[in-house]
Amino acid sequence: MNNLVLTIALPLLGAFLLPVLMRLSQAIGLWLGPIILGYGCWLLGNLWFSDISLPLSIAIGGFDAPYGINLYLDSLALLFAFAVQLLGLICWPYALNQDTARRQALMLLLVASSTGLALSGDLFNLYVFYELAAVATFGLVAASTTSAAYAATFRYLILSGIGSVLTLLGIALIYSHTGTLNLAHLAQLAPELLHDRLGMTAYLLILIGIGVKAELFPVNAWVPEIYATASSRLSGFLAGLLSKLALLIILRLLVLIFDQPEAVQIVLVLGILGVISGEFAAWRAKDMRRMLGFSSIGQLGIIFIALSLPDERGLLALLALSLHHLVIKTGLFMLADGWGGSLERLTGAAKRSPVGAALFTLFALSLVGVPPLPGFWAKFTLITELAAQSEPLYLIGLLVFLLATVIETSYLFRIVAKLYSSAETTTNQPEHQNMPGLSLATASLFAITLLAATVLIAPIGDGLQAVAAEAKNAELYIQTVIPATPGGQL
Amino acid sequence: MRNLTGLLFAGGLGFMLLAIASGIDFGSPPMRIGEAIQSASPQEVGAANIVTSVVLGYRGIDTLGELAILFAAASAAGVVLGRRHTTTGTQRKGGFVLFHGGALIFPFLLTIGFYIIFHGHLTPGGGFQGGVILAAAFFLPLLARPGARLHHSILSVIEAFAGASFILIGLAALAEGQAFLQPMLNQDTLGSLISAGTLPLLYIAVGLKVGAELASLLSNLAQTESEQ
Repeated sequence: MNNLVLTIALPLLGAFLLPVLMRLSQAIGLWLGPIILGYGCWLLGNLWFSDISLPLSIAIGGFDAPYGINLYLDSLALLFAFAVQLLGLICWPYALNQDTARRQALMLLLVASSTGLALSGDLFNLYVFYELAAVATFGLVAASTTSAAYAATFRYLILSGIGSVLTLLGIALIYSHTGTLNLAHLAQLAPELLHDRLGMTAYLLILIGIGVKAELFPVNAWVPEIYATASSRLSGFLAGLLSKLALLIILRLLVLIFDQPEAVQIVLVLGILGVISGEFAAWRAKDMRRMLGFSSIGQLGIIFIALSLPDERGLLALLALSLHHLVIKTGLFMLADGWGGSLERLTGAAKRSPVGAALFTLFALSLVGVPPLPGFWAKFTLITELAAQSEPLYLIGLLVFLLATVIETSYLFRIVAKLYSSAETTTNQPEHQNMPGLSLATASLFAITLLAATVLIAPIGDGLQAVAAEAKNAELYIQTVIPATPGGQL
Repeated sequence: MRNLTGLLFAGGLGFMLLAIASGIDFGSPPMRIGEAIQSASPQEVGAANIVTSVVLGYRGIDTLGELAILFAAASAAGVVLGRRHTTTGTQRKGGFVLFHGGALIFPFLLTIGFYIIFHGHLTPGGGFQGGVILAAAFFLPLLARPGARLHHSILSVIEAFAGASFILIGLAALAEGQAFLQPMLNQDTLGSLISAGTLPLLYIAVGLKVGAELASLLSNLAQTESEQ
């Protein structure tokens, strides 16, 4: 069971050794990363199907929580850790150039830190992995080496730096008040020590700080620039997964420590603002990747609205929307690999790349929520949950959500119409790039996942329901990490 | 407009922090975890320097994360700076005093750097601090003679194997059936140079990695600068 930590340690080991191995033998260097990630997938996949009883807590260094750092593995963490390794393998920078060794090492670091974000049960350890993910991302985005990429990276660097400082400040406030950093231990102490003004401030600081990665409303100015300049594979990983991992941290904090109505309301309001700003900006966007970036802000806003719902069904909606967005957005970014740049250039592109156009249409349909595609079920769960709430703020959330769906339909199907339009008006357009085969194949993979999910929607829904119930159970978390001893409270 | 927003934000943040700071009673921190670690760590880990037993023992994976962050930063800088590599000795050489002073101080810096690394489990200091001094030792000749170059290939080999050995020591514990990064080997007498099990080995790995990393990063920066 201890070997769960290999999913973090091996990518780090690979990243450290890669620059040297690459010089010794290019073949070994090139295969190292995919092999490590493949092994990680196999390990986590095995865990999923083994009969080990989840959740469980693994002490690192042999020091029991709360004295040492522990990894906490429940179905939710396992799901995300698996998604990280798999998506790392899919979004791997296969393209070769002179920086290959460095880029692959940074990608391994990004995967290691993301896995850590999914698994860690210690507040400061989460911060370390969060910071590692941020620094690795800077390097990967800057690897595009255009001046636009440098400018985007710089903006991201500043915002991310502010976010890190705020998060650290929040963690310091919590530590100065409780004297512990372990999430389960904090959850025990929270009702007594952290449900006051100071705890709320710490929560706000961490929310805004972590929110930088989760594309939360006021701190998401980096999103369109980064996604417009970074490679599509990296954008897919960032938009699809890293944002969800930041969301996972906020979810854990909300469930375990800040289980208060005010804390939830802030998330709801920021989510609503995110939906409005993101969807309108996406509607006005003239560039494919920029549009996807803004649309991702809007989607994350919807997910934040789901996060603010009080009960298990709300968490189910959150999970369904997150996983759906993960598949769709990564797939769309893969398509943007060939269709990046101005939307005007897409006129009649269906003729040159019928498969690409069909995939785009499929993704758009599911994103909008046309039954029987999975997007419909995710959105349907959210709508019924929102409508069941009595507080007026949730009704505003519902209205905004419906409005957002209309806007989304409008801009997505504008593109679909453009793809299938036969009129090629201007002949002096720049020569259309061909869709790279690898990207198209990857996008097809996501489409197949989507269709499989359509068929298997009932078992998937039941599975997610169980995952949600387990994640919502704060008592279970505490009992797993710090089993009650006869000695009593720490 | 933009300045005003910034001012408002900074002012609001400052006000909030002031309001919060008044609620914290300074000087009497809650020592829930700290107390337990202070009393247990000499027996559990066997390092005379309790900070080290926290950094490498109780929170060892944090330290691994910090190492990885440093590595990521150096790699990212390498990606940005890596392409401009035609340094010639266009800059003026440093003067007589700088040149010979650098040569003179080099062995002393090396000694003190390694001393701090080797005694990390006994005295304040350790791998990070000693590593920075090692990096300074190797960077100094570069300042004195701008044309000189460090052997990047050797540095990167040291860096890679130092970082790898940190993880491999952790994995060795795992292979023994214990937890990842669990301190192993004999603890020996508290306070003697060879004590605290694998902790000094971990600190040597940290020191070499930090030293090699910073030295190559600094020389990378210096070479890019002299290019412009």
